Amino acid sequence: MKTGTEKRVLEVSDLKYSYEKGHQVLKGVTFDVNAGENIGLIGANGVGKSTLLKLLVGLDLHFEGTIHVSGHSMSRDSLTHIREHIGYVFQDSDSQLFMSTVEEDVAFGPRNYDMSETDVEKRVADALERVHITNLRKKQVYKLSGGEKKLAAIAAILAMEPDLILMDEPSVALDPRNRRNLISVLGEIPGTKLIASHDLDFIVKTCSRTILMYDGVVRADGPTKDILENAQLLEECGL
Amino acid sequence: MNTIENNLHTIDKLSELQQRDLWMNKLHPLTRLLSSVIYIVLVASFDKYDIVHLAIMAVYPFFCFMVGELSLKDGLYRMRVVLPLVLAVGLPNPFFDRQVLIMAGSFAITGGMVSMVVLMIKGLFTVLALYVLIATSSVEDICYALRCLHVPKTIVIVVLLIGRYIYMLGSEASRITTAYRLRAPRQKGIHYKAWGTLVGQWLIRSMDRAQVVYESMCLRGFRGDFPESKRGVRLNDVLYTLVWALVLGALRFTGAVELIGQLFVA
Ligand SMILES: Nc1ncnc2c1ncn2[C@@H]1O[C@H](COP(=O)(O)OP(=O)(O)O)[C@@H](O)[C@H]1O
Ligand SMILES: [Mg+2]
Repeated sequence: MKTGTEKRVLEVSDLKYSYEKGHQVLKGVTFDVNAGENIGLIGANGVGKSTLLKLLVGLDLHFEGTIHVSGHSMSRDSLTHIREHIGYVFQDSDSQLFMSTVEEDVAFGPRNYDMSETDVEKRVADALERVHITNLRKKQVYKLSGGEKKLAAIAAILAMEPDLILMDEPSVALDPRNRRNLISVLGEIPGTKLIASHDLDFIVKTCSRTILMYDGVVRADGPTKDILENAQLLEECGL
Repeated sequence: MNTIENNLHTIDKLSELQQRDLWMNKLHPLTRLLSSVIYIVLVASFDKYDIVHLAIMAVYPFFCFMVGELSLKDGLYRMRVVLPLVLAVGLPNPFFDRQVLIMAGSFAITGGMVSMVVLMIKGLFTVLALYVLIATSSVEDICYALRCLHVPKTIVIVVLLIGRYIYMLGSEASRITTAYRLRAPRQKGIHYKAWGTLVGQWLIRSMDRAQVVYESMCLRGFRGDFPESKRGVRLNDVLYTLVWALVLGALRFTGAVELIGQLFVA
């Protein structure tokens, strides 16, 4: 339930972006995210979900419009600061995890922020506990299964304690059991999440609010139930 | 097994060794790096005919293989690419240096033969010492040690990234060749006409992945320096380097061997 006192974690206003001249992918995207919300970002393949997430973490600054993360306007100068507030779980966990063991990888973020070794230790332990992979702590990353890699990637982001977590297609390439497990893990993690996916069932189970993208803009934004029950709207948007 | 996969397997095995919870692996990275470097420099500095004293230097790799619980057989096998090269360096010596040193019956042992063996032993010891180092230290460890020695940050980062990308390049290559072989089962190897495309694909895909890895590092606060648990130097670490420096230095520069020998004779 929205109240005026809620904390804005993210404000996106009239965001436009194109990879190549003449082909605009985002044509003016506007939405806000308040603290504690779980939001599904849905839309057909190629609609620009991944592109939007990349802009939100500042992987590309050549956009028009504005992005505010926890009150900071996205720019080259604020980048370091913004990245402390926002975590991004890549679609491809293989590339996201680059250290040799799960423990090392999860510790990478906290260590970069000059924490003491005791604090890092605590962050790592907490993060692994949250996604229930404490048992994998010492394991080599290349030996993990797809589902375990995804959880390790999420733990690596949780360890940084961001205000907002972005996830790109987290359920892709997971078998039904790992997918169910991920749904329950996400349900237990407190905090604000924006999950891009075309897996509508996954969104129903993890997000209370949904943003539907179509043709470079936000076509609908509201309670997940309302949007996903509107078969005609989904049909129109290619889902 | 395909050779690419074979090599990846070696990397996997090595990183497993590096992660072990052994006394050797827990020494400060700088300790491990320094003792290896000291050893290699001393070994290389032996006189070209000094086979007896050089042979005693085997104590260091012997100790490391024992305490580090490493298998000599695996070590030699994994170093099989460089080993022949290192051993071959001395091969021409007998042809150049024909000065007779000793007569063994009617067989003349020439200076060239001795110096060839000395070079081979030096090569073998160096390779074994390097193997000990890489089997106990990850790329991150070695980079950390380099940073402690004030090697410029840029150089260390390049080393670190190469270490990080090499596995990726390998796994990408393995994926592409596997896909190719599965669809061309009757063919031996890869047809030369396909090489161009495959190599192109490999580079593009590897660069893509390298890009994502780099982005992932930046998003987690990477700002040109890499984090490393700031490891304090313990007494153990200092002693380890010191003791080896003394022992090896004594073996190299003093008549320690003769002294020990006399002790036994007396
Ligand atoms: N690196 C790129 N260069 C050029 N075009 C791209 C690039 N990445 C994505 N696109 C294009 O941008 C559009 C949106 O892609 P993307 O954000 O990946 O969509 P989604 O994640 O919703 O499936 C697509 O039309 C895609 O072809
Ligand atoms: Mg996508």
